[in-house]
Amino acid sequence: MAEEIHLPEAATEPRKRKIGKKKGSKAKKKAKMLHSSEEIRAMKPKKFNNKMKKLFLKRAKDYNSESEEESKQEDVKPKPLGNNEEEPIGGAASSSGEESEEGGGGGGRNRGDGVSDDEEHGEILPGIMKFSEGCNAFRLAFKSIIKKSVSLNAVGPVMSAHKKLVAEKLAEEQTERKAKGEAKKEKHTVIEKGHVMPANYLDTHEKFLIGVATKGVVKLFNAVNKAQNAQKGLNPSKFKDAKVIKKRRKEAFFSELGKTSSKAHASKGAVDGEGPAWAPLRDNYMLTNPKLKDWDKKQDSIVEDDIGRVAGDSSDDD
Amino acid sequence: MRLINNLICLARSVITFLRLKPHAETELPKNPKRPKKKKVFVKPVSTKKQANVDHITGDKIPRSFVFSRCKLPGPLRQLQADLRKLMLPYTALKLKEKRRNNLRDFLNVAGPMGVTHFLMLSKTPTAPYLRVARTPQGPTLTFKIQEYSLAVDIARSQKRPRCPADLFKNAPLIVLSGFGTGEQHLKLTTILFQNIFPAIDVNTVKLSSCQRIVLLNYNKDTKLIDFRHYSIRLQPVGVSQRLRRFVQNHQVPDLRNLQDVSDFVTKAGYGSESEADDEAATVTLANDLGRVNRASSKSAVKLQEIGPRMTLQLMKIEEGLCTGGVIFSEYGTLILSCRTFLVLLTVCSMTS
Repeated sequence: MAEEIHLPEAATEPRKRKIGKKKGSKAKKKAKMLHSSEEIRAMKPKKFNNKMKKLFLKRAKDYNSESEEESKQEDVKPKPLGNNEEEPIGGAASSSGEESEEGGGGGGRNRGDGVSDDEEHGEILPGIMKFSEGCNAFRLAFKSIIKKSVSLNAVGPVMSAHKKLVAEKLAEEQTERKAKGEAKKEKHTVIEKGHVMPANYLDTHEKFLIGVATKGVVKLFNAVNKAQNAQKGLNPSKFKDAKVIKKRRKEAFFSELGKTSSKAHASKGAVDGEGPAWAPLRDNYMLTNPKLKDWDKKQDSIVEDDIGRVAGDSSDDD
Repeated sequence: MRLINNLICLARSVITFLRLKPHAETELPKNPKRPKKKKVFVKPVSTKKQANVDHITGDKIPRSFVFSRCKLPGPLRQLQADLRKLMLPYTALKLKEKRRNNLRDFLNVAGPMGVTHFLMLSKTPTAPYLRVARTPQGPTLTFKIQEYSLAVDIARSQKRPRCPADLFKNAPLIVLSGFGTGEQHLKLTTILFQNIFPAIDVNTVKLSSCQRIVLLNYNKDTKLIDFRHYSIRLQPVGVSQRLRRFVQNHQVPDLRNLQDVSDFVTKAGYGSESEADDEAATVTLANDLGRVNRASSKSAVKLQEIGPRMTLQLMKIEEGLCTGGVIFSEYGTLILSCRTFLVLLTVCSMTS
């Protein structure tokens, strides 16, 4: 029971403490009013660490995310520092201190006050340099940095200690890109397989093909001319003329029927000999002609007979 | 509470009424300023059915589908579009296909629509393939596309690519050359390709409808088939280029550099004399063709390449539609009885 009672108390205590802390901030102000150096000494390192930690984290993030922003920051920073270098000759200690800490963040004011307070007292805290000393050391360091000649085409941030790292990163990126590009190219070649760009001129092969096609067209046109000249002057819509046309066609059909058998043999002979193998060169190339259709059918009929017979045999077997 | 509810209901009904009213107004065409409500456009089912039979010759018109059997990369899709254009007018130019469509779907549609031929494009890592098949159960020829160029590429390679408006309104002629070596698979190929386009009746055909030609040339040595597509142009022979242009274009000619009007007629142009008119390529026309080509005069046939160019290699012939026994194979296995071959020949040449 006693424990149970104690626990809620323990729970409530931090709350009280928090409230107390809030009050404590007020108390801090009071302490500042009192200029008690001991309290500041107690508070300072803690606060400093937190802030700097945040700052460093932020910087690290920036650095990791983009190198450009970093370089910009680098560009911006030297300016106020340069001012500082000029100022100390006649500058007030408090003002310069504030300026130097502006980069530190919004919370700098409190600390600045503290520093000024310290200086007023003439005490030097550990971790905080006296302005004159710090200035000298800083000046030397800054000068050495400024003197450094940096090649114009430097990669990445100038003052970074991880110069190599950045270069490595870039190199890695490049290799990655290269690999990607190669993969893309490979894919493209697979896609474009067989796709050939035609030449601007007609080479011999194309000319030959055009010649073959032209021969075919000429053959057809001549055939059309021959067929349609015969029925010239006859209007197929008129009954009389239509009759005449029909008669003529019939005659032509039968005459060609008589021819075909001999012609087919002739063509076969031609194939065996030197005769042109192209269909358009042969007289019977136009298979759409009624005569040739018939020629085909003639063969087919024989074939069909064969089929019928074979089919019959198979049925018998079954 | 109930009263309030009633009020709300009433207000709603009033609002709906108010909303409805402008709708009723918009339907009237009286005030054109107000934007019309967009109606979903339903394409009317075309009542004009394309005749399956040629109205002059009475032959059945072969129709075709060009589609792909897998997902095609860009250039091959373009080739498919070119092939569809080539097969015009008796093909589905805007055939939509989905990945889940299989061959049976196309076959089911093909029956009622009278489609007789399928051209199927597919792709493997080694090469693209073209399969040409007779639909219901006919043989399937598989070609390996060794090389191809698109219509765009060919147009780009030419100085003046030609594409008259009515180029694709009629079916192309087909010329098969070099197939007469007596081999059976070549014979089958010939007959299949001959029947892929409507037959031409020499007695009734109009020369103005012969605008294109498809050439298939078999090379005996390489065993490759060259597939070309040309446009046919006729030019009167013996007329200078200037005069021809003048008659064709109906434009005022440029006479600045000439001393006399007669010079325009007598002076030869540049191109006309250099282009030696081949005697073999001239025809006398049965009737007038266009403004320039007269029936009595001689005309020269000029071909200009359009459309896709392919180099095909016959890989195999299957008995069925992408199935069945392999009749012919590039790799030497020739299982072909005379009977099956002849059956296939008849199937291919069937027009009914």
